[in-house]
Amino acid sequence: MGIKDLFKSGPSVEVMGDRDIDVPAEPINENQKIVDRLMPSRKKEETRSIKGPIGIDIGTVNIVVAQSRGKDIKAVRQLNAFFTIPYSNITRKTLSRDEIMFFEKNEKLYILGYSAEEFASTFGGDTRKPVESGLLNPKERESISVIKALISRFIREPVKNNEKICFSVPGEPIDRPASVIFHESIIKMHLKSLGYYPIAINEGMAVILSELTGNNFTGIGISMGGGMCNVCLSYLSVPVVTYSIQKGGDYIDKMVGSSVGEMAAKVKAVKEDGFDLSIEPRDRIEIGLHIFYDDLFSTLAQSLQQVLGSSDNIPRFSKPLPIVLSGGTVMPRGCKEKFEKALTEVRLPVTISEILVAEKPLFATAKGALTMAITEDSEI
Amino acid sequence: MPSSVIVYSPDEIRGRIISKTLQVKGIKNLLFTSHFEAEEAINKRPPPVIILDTKKNLASELNFLKTLSNNLLKTTLIVLSNPSDVPVLEEMGIDMVLCIPDPFDPELIFLKARDALAREFSMKSFARVLKQAVLRASRFFFRSLRIIIILAIGLAGGYIYWCISTLPKIGVLDNYSPYEASRVYSYDNKLLTEFYVERRTFIPHEKIPKHVIKAFLAVEDKRFYRHHGVDFIRIISALIKNIRERGFVQGGSTITQQLAKMLFLKPEKTITRKIKEIVLSIQIEGKYTKDEILGLYLNQAYFGTRAYGIEAASQAYFGKSTADINISEAALLAALPKAPSKYSPFKDPKGAFRRRNHVLKRMLVTGFISKKEYKKSLTEPIPDRFHGRKYKAPYFVDYCRTILEDKYGDRLYTSGLKIYTTLDYRMQRIAENAIKNGIKDLQKRGITGVQAALLAIDPKTGWIKAMVGGTNFWDSQFNRVTQAERQPGSAFKPIVYLTALNNGFKPDSTIRDKMFTYVLTNEEGTWTPQNYHDVYRGVVTLKTALALSLNAATVDLAKKVKIKNIIKTAKLVGIKSSIHPFYPSALGASEMTLMEIVYAYAALAYGSRVGPMCIDRIIDREQLALVGPSGTKERVINKKALTGIRQMLRAVILQGTARKARVINRKVYGKTGTTNDYADAWFIGFDDKMVAGVWVGRDGRAPIGENETGARVALPIWIEFMKNL
Repeated sequence: MGIKDLFKSGPSVEVMGDRDIDVPAEPINENQKIVDRLMPSRKKEETRSIKGPIGIDIGTVNIVVAQSRGKDIKAVRQLNAFFTIPYSNITRKTLSRDEIMFFEKNEKLYILGYSAEEFASTFGGDTRKPVESGLLNPKERESISVIKALISRFIREPVKNNEKICFSVPGEPIDRPASVIFHESIIKMHLKSLGYYPIAINEGMAVILSELTGNNFTGIGISMGGGMCNVCLSYLSVPVVTYSIQKGGDYIDKMVGSSVGEMAAKVKAVKEDGFDLSIEPRDRIEIGLHIFYDDLFSTLAQSLQQVLGSSDNIPRFSKPLPIVLSGGTVMPRGCKEKFEKALTEVRLPVTISEILVAEKPLFATAKGALTMAITEDSEI
Repeated sequence: MPSSVIVYSPDEIRGRIISKTLQVKGIKNLLFTSHFEAEEAINKRPPPVIILDTKKNLASELNFLKTLSNNLLKTTLIVLSNPSDVPVLEEMGIDMVLCIPDPFDPELIFLKARDALAREFSMKSFARVLKQAVLRASRFFFRSLRIIIILAIGLAGGYIYWCISTLPKIGVLDNYSPYEASRVYSYDNKLLTEFYVERRTFIPHEKIPKHVIKAFLAVEDKRFYRHHGVDFIRIISALIKNIRERGFVQGGSTITQQLAKMLFLKPEKTITRKIKEIVLSIQIEGKYTKDEILGLYLNQAYFGTRAYGIEAASQAYFGKSTADINISEAALLAALPKAPSKYSPFKDPKGAFRRRNHVLKRMLVTGFISKKEYKKSLTEPIPDRFHGRKYKAPYFVDYCRTILEDKYGDRLYTSGLKIYTTLDYRMQRIAENAIKNGIKDLQKRGITGVQAALLAIDPKTGWIKAMVGGTNFWDSQFNRVTQAERQPGSAFKPIVYLTALNNGFKPDSTIRDKMFTYVLTNEEGTWTPQNYHDVYRGVVTLKTALALSLNAATVDLAKKVKIKNIIKTAKLVGIKSSIHPFYPSALGASEMTLMEIVYAYAALAYGSRVGPMCIDRIIDREQLALVGPSGTKERVINKKALTGIRQMLRAVILQGTARKARVINRKVYGKTGTTNDYADAWFIGFDDKMVAGVWVGRDGRAPIGENETGARVALPIWIEFMKNL
């Protein structure tokens, strides 16, 4: 496995390929157009020279890897999913020829990433998820093998031993008995076995490192992903309070789907197709989305009230704090206003100055993880 | 470079927060979360400052704390603790100025650490230079006496150069800016209080009267204008005395030396400190005029009772400015810096009296005052009470403090801000009197232990004009305007009627006033709302139902307009507390604060929702405005509904439960409120300029007394307030 694996899905398999973006590094240029697109082949050579610390966001829906490339940050996204098909020599050869990410186990071929989605739709099935509600999926027997394979095929080999890699982990859930230790340890062990020096970072904290540079890394970072919402209150980059609630974008899709009698996938498609929370809903699905977004933001605001209110470690802040929202679930327009409204219904022990939405919500966690890895690397 | 601060906190998060705050602000530090490691590091190299966090478990840190405070005499120990542990720490002899109880405030911890470090004036580098030089000199000594002499001259030059090169250390006095108290004024320019950490108000030296300066010179340094920072005659006489007594019993410090000590050194009696003091004094004298030095000294000195600086001391002991104190008073102040606690007139009046007279005697002997002035001053009494501890409009001031602390943090106490509030002190006095008289009336009826609160606001701007949060702030700081959540009873009803007006009803529309039993959806059982006198009038107009505060009719109306719409209206007019979605809420069963309901009535008065405003503007030390007037206003009631609700609230005064208010010679509007068992009595009302609300009740929610309704208890207070405006 080499750096080539990072961009294994080339233009010839464009539907199943990695989603690749160029994000400028310090300072992040707010006006730069970020295109979620396929990697042109001529760029392959260019990216091979990438080295140094890595930030990786392992989410319920996506895995995003970020790395510095000169002044820019290179971020690559892949679907965190798999699909199995029966083993045959011909199929295996075809997959290899087409540079599709896969591995073999127990007479089965495990197709990974976006390719899995494509195969699932061809074979009329659903993709499966190695990660559910932010943590390794206990219902999938092969979740560990799949996540290991995805990571191994997604990041390059370390140039030198003990190269820094920082990966995101969720906060301890407050609404369900679950522990992040197992999840964190598995990923850490795997990264170590690949030759890296792994560092875990709370997802909310990563968002703060990515988005609140101008505020001395002081504020509240919320990463709203598919499986969960991760929250971190940071004071000068010290994570004071971290937690998660196990509700996220998938919850919205599922609840809207079951309320209006549609497939969750259809709801997700509507949600991701320019859906706008700031305008009046036009049909039943949109009404449902409005209702369950309100529900999610209300749960989030109440959890903030409950957790911050009961923590005795919160210091006195000399000025009000910003909240920054990030993650795929805050992609629709109007999320900020919805959350603002939900916050007016609760009383927090800290004063909020403003609510921000990350410039690139899908990549903020990986970027924050990369910042952490770079910091750790420079401290040695 | 070694770290100047060691932070020890068994709580890793708190420790990291402190460490990071210090680091970000340029103070190198080491953080330890384990006892063993902290102890090892401290023993290896004792730092100038240790921050010890005892919050998690004081009991297990006690021994460590004792060891540190006993063994590390040169280290400043800042102790963080639970507020409840403060007495234990005080008993242990921990310096309370350096004890910081929770709430956890990293900025304050930083300020304390910074101040402690600023006092730390290290002579280590000087000692090192000297040591090396002596070694080199001894080597040269055996070679050639001539070289030794040359080297000695070189060393002397080096020493002088070293002294001059350290001058920038006193350069901080150029920007001398002591912690200065912030002053809080009412809208009509009455000083309400000061916010301070150390009670310090800076006064320029030219504004300090001559006789005050002379009092200090007479007792502290009579040759001040003749020496250059060090008075050798005094030093020699002190040395002789100390040798005779075999210890340090007397200092020969000049005012300049005392200033150097206060600003840069620790209060220890050692030869090393004395040498440092002398060097610094010469530097200070070389850089500043005598008058400037005196001014700095008088503004820096500690006078006891938390008063730092002459101006704060004048206010604290005599309740007046330094510019206004007489010779006798000046003599007493001059007596204090030597031993503020020992000579305190509040602790030992006789000792203070004797010491003051000693100062007067010194003034006479040095020719600073005439015999006549001396004799007259001797007859003056010394102060017997501390001035200014209590402050005006205390509930309001505390309300402002909470808001300002959030915004300005420590700056509030240290930056000498002038805070102009919205409070009208004339109205505040009327409000306080009205509450006092209302309580007196209750006492006449044999009812005691009752609390009352009043809030008056300008409905057009949201400005708070008067706030009384209880009968005596000094007994109970619980603010019943902003903190007490109580059932408003019938005072809530106008929101039900406003909902009806918004839904097509008119003041003359009719509803049923009939006893009716409702099945409660939230719990098993039924509920039958009853009218106050158990009289039911059948069909009544909305106007009559509200004027007479008919419960049965109101619930009938609530059923018609739906409780969810009533909740919506309540939120619209600014009620933030949750309103339970059940019928009893229509009769005011959901709890809320007096402040919420008064602001809701502001919307009923003018149709617009305004938010509470207590600050008009804030001016900083450089006379720059930090905050100007601002506030939000949102139209929430349409003209038709507004006319209707005002008509109905007027009917309450003309024909309803608040007929007593007709004594006011202008159009007033309002509504009474009484809750079950007479636990709360309310009256909320308004005229063209003011909305005022009064609540009366007991903190424990026991009944005020039989038949003590809103009309009987709260309304008279409201009337007295509104009548006297």
